[in-house]
Amino acid sequence: MRNSLPTAALSEFVNEVTGAPEEALMDYGVILDWESGTRSRAEAKPMRVGPHRVSRCFSWKVDEPRQLMGNNHGPNPQELLLSGLGACMMVAFVAGATAEGIQLESLRIDLDATLDLRGFLGIGSNSPVGFPEISYTIHVTADASPEQLAALHARAVAHSPNAQTILNPVALRGEIVSTRSGA
Amino acid sequence: MTDTPIRGDATSRAPRPTAGGWLNRLDRKRGAGPFLPGHHLPAAGPSTTAVHAGTHDDARTGAVGTPIYQASTFLLNADQYGSIEEGFARDRFIYSRYGNPSQWAVQEKLAALEGAESAIVFSSGMAAITATVMALVDKGAHVVASADLYGGTWNLFNQEFPTFGMSATLVDPQDFAAIEAAIRPETQLMYFEAITNPLLKIIDIPRLAEIARRHGLRLVIDATFAPPIAMRALEQGADVVVHSASKYLNGHSDLIAGVAAGPRKLIDMIWPRLLNYGGSLDPHACFLLERGLKTLAIRMRAHEESAHALARYLEGHPTVTRVFYPLLDSHPDRALARRLLKNGTGNVTFFVESDQAALQLVGALRIPKQATSLGGVESLVSLPFNTSQASYTARQRAAIGIHPGCVRLSVGIEDAADLIADFEQALAQISAAKEATHA
Repeated sequence: MRNSLPTAALSEFVNEVTGAPEEALMDYGVILDWESGTRSRAEAKPMRVGPHRVSRCFSWKVDEPRQLMGNNHGPNPQELLLSGLGACMMVAFVAGATAEGIQLESLRIDLDATLDLRGFLGIGSNSPVGFPEISYTIHVTADASPEQLAALHARAVAHSPNAQTILNPVALRGEIVSTRSGA
Repeated sequence: MTDTPIRGDATSRAPRPTAGGWLNRLDRKRGAGPFLPGHHLPAAGPSTTAVHAGTHDDARTGAVGTPIYQASTFLLNADQYGSIEEGFARDRFIYSRYGNPSQWAVQEKLAALEGAESAIVFSSGMAAITATVMALVDKGAHVVASADLYGGTWNLFNQEFPTFGMSATLVDPQDFAAIEAAIRPETQLMYFEAITNPLLKIIDIPRLAEIARRHGLRLVIDATFAPPIAMRALEQGADVVVHSASKYLNGHSDLIAGVAAGPRKLIDMIWPRLLNYGGSLDPHACFLLERGLKTLAIRMRAHEESAHALARYLEGHPTVTRVFYPLLDSHPDRALARRLLKNGTGNVTFFVESDQAALQLVGALRIPKQATSLGGVESLVSLPFNTSQASYTARQRAAIGIHPGCVRLSVGIEDAADLIADFEQALAQISAAKEATHA
């Protein structure tokens, strides 16, 4: 199988979804429980692939470095954001390459971003709270021309759900359920 | 590539590369199969299907009937290499663990009998069950299964599942509220048997399918006790049907085999588990299974005829305390059986006074052979307490209705009159023994 992806099954899924769009609907969820200080435990909820449930059973720790009052017990939220972005673009890049008949030898995405914490801290300045910019470099070895790979890069970004979530406004709907302690 | 022979399913081709497009340009669609070319049967009745579906004559010699392709490996060409590269190796002959024309022939027959798009044969029923279950669950998964399970399947859930970090809740297969209550967020699968062993409870598959659909779960049905002439589990709403093909499907008690059948999408997910777990069926066993299947419809009619007559006889016998046969008016699920079963089977379960009396009885019978298994042309008789449910404790057996004195009978296709005469003499012996002890 090219790049360890079954192109035939990918093609069958694409054509299945064309006829049965409900098969394309994925429900994801994550639960975060505060553990201590800046550390939390994240757990993937069972997801839905089309109409069917899939058990996930994955959990991980999220923390801040000691310099930011944490204990450095896990990647921090910004690193997870960047890894979520990079991994998503990687899936899109690999799927696109495979469908195009490109054999990959190696693929690495190197992401960087700078945050000015004055935004988070509320110190008066013009700095935004979030990342103003995320930069990345894709290192790829494959049996394709630089032009082909550049075009593939563009298509991968255009079809990456996480890249498109970051590039476009997204509604963030939150509510709070509060309980008065000791009540 | 144009003059490269296709060794496999010629209707299956690689998707064309997207050439600067995106995934939506991929043009390969899923189809039924894999099948060998050139012998597709028009819609036919069950007997015609049993005889002809999948079976093909040898093109080179004109020999009638599917040749036995007793080969472990196949000549490879660019097309087969391409099938591996593009991920449709299941549709080409490469190596017999992956697929073999003898397997394909009998798989096509089984798929046709079950009304399925695709089927895979395995080296045993348990190989089919394990591969099917493991294909449909993920890390941390939970399964809701019948409390009346066959012992081998119970061992899978009880012994193997915890090792993989998975769990199963076993519930009364007729208690729908308990089944729904057992469903958790991480539940992925419902696993039930069409007719339970040994009490022959009829399971309401359409109702289970409705629960599965509502909760986004897959439903797997083990239909070993209800082969396709009696019932097509997929038509009742199962996602995948599995069988021990060693029983009714083969029908001659001379091989061990299993099968999983269902939509191509799911059977394609099971196929990699066949490769990983390795339970592939030998070509010669495929030939025997294919031959056995040709008479499935006529055998099932004969099983029903003899079993029904013997069950009626046993029900009237004073030494027999209770008889379970789904077509008897006394069977608790008679109405459901009438709705779901198109044909009876050979399984009759009855009770005598004690396990001791049951042991005496099976020893006195001359026609039924004292052996475990079922669905063969010869009648077989065994006691659940020391065979199929031996891994249960006495209390667990009692909880599912297997009380002492339980006799599990698989009526073959012998003449009913001969079987009745044999039971008459054997039951007379245990009645005589009882009178002697009471004297």
